[in-house]
Amino acid sequence: MNAFEEPGERREDVDDTAFKEVLDRMWTRFLPDIRDRAAVLDAAAKAAVDGTLNQAIRADALSAAHKLAGTLGTFGLPRGTDLARELELLYASDDGLEGAKAQRLATITAEIKAMIESRK
Amino acid sequence: MVSRRFGVSPVGRKVLIIDDEDDIREVAAMSLESVAGWEVLTANSGLQGLARAAEHKPDAILLDVMMPGMDGPTTFRELRKNPTTARIPVLLLTAKVQSKDQRRFADLGVEAVLFKPFDPLTLSRQIASVLGWN
Repeated sequence: MNAFEEPGERREDVDDTAFKEVLDRMWTRFLPDIRDRAAVLDAAAKAAVDGTLNQAIRADALSAAHKLAGTLGTFGLPRGTDLARELELLYASDDGLEGAKAQRLATITAEIKAMIESRK
Repeated sequence: MVSRRFGVSPVGRKVLIIDDEDDIREVAAMSLESVAGWEVLTANSGLQGLARAAEHKPDAILLDVMMPGMDGPTTFRELRKNPTTARIPVLLLTAKVQSKDQRRFADLGVEAVLFKPFDPLTLSRQIASVLGWN
């Protein structure tokens, strides 16, 4: 198997500006879906802080975090991917998510939401 | 979609993207069409992907791992069972980066594993490199 460890080269004849414009239009088009995923994370983080996080909410949050981890970096938000991955690991763990961990969920989620809203 | 928008000539490759996430599927398709000039087919599920692969016989398949219903590994095994699609190179696309997941994917026998998030400007070059299309 050939797993990729490094980003590939890029073609020299690609128009960066035009490409970025297309990517930005796609971001705008898919922003409602991305916001929906962030909202799922927000609800889960609030439930964790309130002590009402259950398995169903946790599973939804895990799925949303996984999808955002795979998406945000592609749209130029690599930090968003890192944070979403951290959430994914937390929600996938067998650990309880109370106290400091719940606060961490809330902090990360808030940062992701801010990042999404501030992307230009 | 946006084929040749950026002045890149098609080189006759046909790639099927199977991914249930609309944003990933469309960005990947845009990337392969506009940067590499390849013809791109898409499917939003494993089942749809199997049908498209058998009908269009693409040169390669970019296959998401986590999909509802038929997931990527199951789709891959079904592709291999069908003589029409058995020899089509398959590259897994996954946001899972834990080593245990990577080992599991490697054991499947796919050509490569690509990781999300991908850079839309370099995705086609990654695929071309692993498949010897350069």
